[in-house]
Amino acid sequence: MSKSKKLAVNRRGFLKGAATAAAGAAAIATHVPGTDAQTQTPAPGTGRPNAPAPAPSPAQLERDAGVVTPPTGGNTRAAVRPGSDLMVQVLRDLGVEYVAANPGSSFEGIQESIINYGNPPNVKPEFITALHEESAVTMAHGYGKATGKPMCALLHGTIGIQHAAMSIYQAYYDKTPALLIAGRDLGFIAAHSANDMAGMVRSYTKWDATPKTIEESLVAIQRAYNEAITPPCAPTMVVIDIDLQKEEAGALKVPAYQPPRISGIDAGQAREIAKGLLDAQNPRIAVGRLRTPDGVRLAVQLAELVGASTSTSATQGPMSFPQRHPLCGPGANTSYDYTLGLEQPGTVGLVGPSLATLLSRDPTNIGFGGIAPGVSRAGAPGGPGGAGRGGRGGGAPAGRTVDLDAEASVPAIIDEVRRQMSPDKQRVIQDRSAKHATANQTARIEALTRALDQRRAGWDSTPISTARVYAELWPLIVDEDWILASPSNFSGGHNSQLWDHNKPYSYLGGQGAAGMGYGAPASVGAALAAKSRKQIVINVQTDGDLNYAPGVLWTAQHHELPMLTVMHNNRAWHQELMFVEYMCGVRGRGTGRGHIGTTLRDPFIDYRMMAAAYGMAGEGPITDPLKLGPALKRGLASVKKGMPYMIDVITQPR
Amino acid sequence: MGTRSLLILAAVGLIAAADAVRAQSPPAQTAKPATTTLTSPVTGNAVTGKKLYYDHACYSCHGFNGETGARAFVPNWPANLATERSFIAFLRGRANLAPVQPSTSMPNYPVESLSDAHAKDIYAYIRSFKSAPPPVEKIPVMSQILAAAKKPYKP
Repeated sequence: MSKSKKLAVNRRGFLKGAATAAAGAAAIATHVPGTDAQTQTPAPGTGRPNAPAPAPSPAQLERDAGVVTPPTGGNTRAAVRPGSDLMVQVLRDLGVEYVAANPGSSFEGIQESIINYGNPPNVKPEFITALHEESAVTMAHGYGKATGKPMCALLHGTIGIQHAAMSIYQAYYDKTPALLIAGRDLGFIAAHSANDMAGMVRSYTKWDATPKTIEESLVAIQRAYNEAITPPCAPTMVVIDIDLQKEEAGALKVPAYQPPRISGIDAGQAREIAKGLLDAQNPRIAVGRLRTPDGVRLAVQLAELVGASTSTSATQGPMSFPQRHPLCGPGANTSYDYTLGLEQPGTVGLVGPSLATLLSRDPTNIGFGGIAPGVSRAGAPGGPGGAGRGGRGGGAPAGRTVDLDAEASVPAIIDEVRRQMSPDKQRVIQDRSAKHATANQTARIEALTRALDQRRAGWDSTPISTARVYAELWPLIVDEDWILASPSNFSGGHNSQLWDHNKPYSYLGGQGAAGMGYGAPASVGAALAAKSRKQIVINVQTDGDLNYAPGVLWTAQHHELPMLTVMHNNRAWHQELMFVEYMCGVRGRGTGRGHIGTTLRDPFIDYRMMAAAYGMAGEGPITDPLKLGPALKRGLASVKKGMPYMIDVITQPR
Repeated sequence: MGTRSLLILAAVGLIAAADAVRAQSPPAQTAKPATTTLTSPVTGNAVTGKKLYYDHACYSCHGFNGETGARAFVPNWPANLATERSFIAFLRGRANLAPVQPSTSMPNYPVESLSDAHAKDIYAYIRSFKSAPPPVEKIPVMSQILAAAKKPYKP
């Protein structure tokens, strides 16, 4: 059911609508819509009391069946060129692929434009039906981490923004770009509107605007997009009044999009860093999370040019150095004499505008958790980065930090390296690279052998060990183009040791702010990215997390997304169970009731049935470890055909 | 941690180490985890112990078979599981202090919340745990993982 229905057109709206229609008619010499049709076929209840409702026309029946053909003939609409068409055109120009939303009347103009405007309509952007605003924004969060690009979410007034607030907070904490558009309708339900709607989430959005005209709206959307992708990346919000969405735009042009200019280091700094890398006997490049896949490509290029061993954060999250690259690992010699850190500004350990940049928008100066104002961990000793001399092992001492974007800086460093390169240096680099490759592969096999030996424990046990879930999955996907979109921290993190994370999007990492209800919607967002890129998404889904907003399974099914969900069903909020058990113990009152409020039993939840209720194929609950592998094969076969699949696996707690 | 707690833990450690030496075959040299089968007497009821193991959510940290989870103990039996006595001493000797932050440490089990008899039942159930995972080379999936890792890297 829609959140709100206008019961009547108020006077203001009627007059404005009439004026708009007249303006539109004048502008393009056509007539006000609906008049012909309405006079020929009176609508039920309008002017003919007690008349029986007419039978639906064949066209209406087709429409109800979802067979909607956009108009191709002459225009007969009130607003021939409504403002929302131009807003959607801006999204198209920006390359926004998807707009996720739970329907709400305050953005009905934009929604109508997405699904009907353009040729073909409802493509880039495509309207993605969400069953909760929290899901819509977390989809954008997952998509943003998989691609480095913003996805859009529409939010309905004050209530939609508040539903979405948790997800916005997580994306903000995760430095992930997302473009949020909130509809506002001041003339409708008062409780759904506010003078400053973005104020509710201003503490954890990077930028917002409430434009007053269509033209301002178009510019604001472009600016919001640019702010979101400019480091430190974060969600941004534009509040757009319903009037602007419905207004006739006339001959207004969509302003040309200008991408942001993201500053990198200057030529002098590039020269210095290139010299440091080339003069070093054993340079090291510590790669953290970069902004986009292009940043990863550049990091690889630089490492190969200078023959530096590298570290990666790919086992912790997206946009880092390929784990199996021959230069990734400790290298042949762990005494590094020059370490360059490359990381997105705002993440722990290196460069860039500090988190205080974001927090300056927090008028209450509250701050949140580890990013409280005044607490900056950038350049902290032992962090993964820092440009400068010295250091052994992975932790270089805090050197000089550069307050600029790493990704934007690497091209200049590469140019300088090429300029300063000599044949002698090239020979040394080739020799060093070969030694690093051999050492890294040996180290990798040794580490993997140890990891496999540890993960034999409980191999045949029931419930099924979480290590077995990840181990059984890996040979099935190793040759696929996959994304592990769910956090693995509550499932043993076995992927970090058993799998290879070689693509910028291999593993999307944690929730952002460790908030629950993230895994499934983030995986759906990743699957939206995967669908158009012929990838598949793996979602090892913890049971407690899924129950926050399981309706997102319907979204996956409805949009036919390539997502395999494997339940890590330990029938509890397991972390909290351990916490409460300990608290019971230290108070000496016994642990026998520690399960109250921390477990999901009496009854157990049947996730196969849950998936089935949303139309998704699946199987389980699986308790026999021998049945796991075949089930995973069936699931992947479904996903590779483009249909999501759910396997409920009863697992050990961790 | 208070002085009392330290003393208790020290005592538990001594009991565990001494019992470990007596209970394990071959004898352990120190209180390091033992990988051999325990042989000390078991007097509790394993069937009752199974229910208690579940009711007290021991599985939450130790897995349902003692082999998995945050605090697995099979087959690397720690010294405090060497005997019933060391196990009970370990249960009683945990810190009785509220943690500053949420903790997944082993809870304290005073006798008021878990009797000696029930502790022995749990111990009997724990001692029934057997671990015999196949070697890596006998697990086809693991062999495949290793083989995949040996292939040349393809960007």
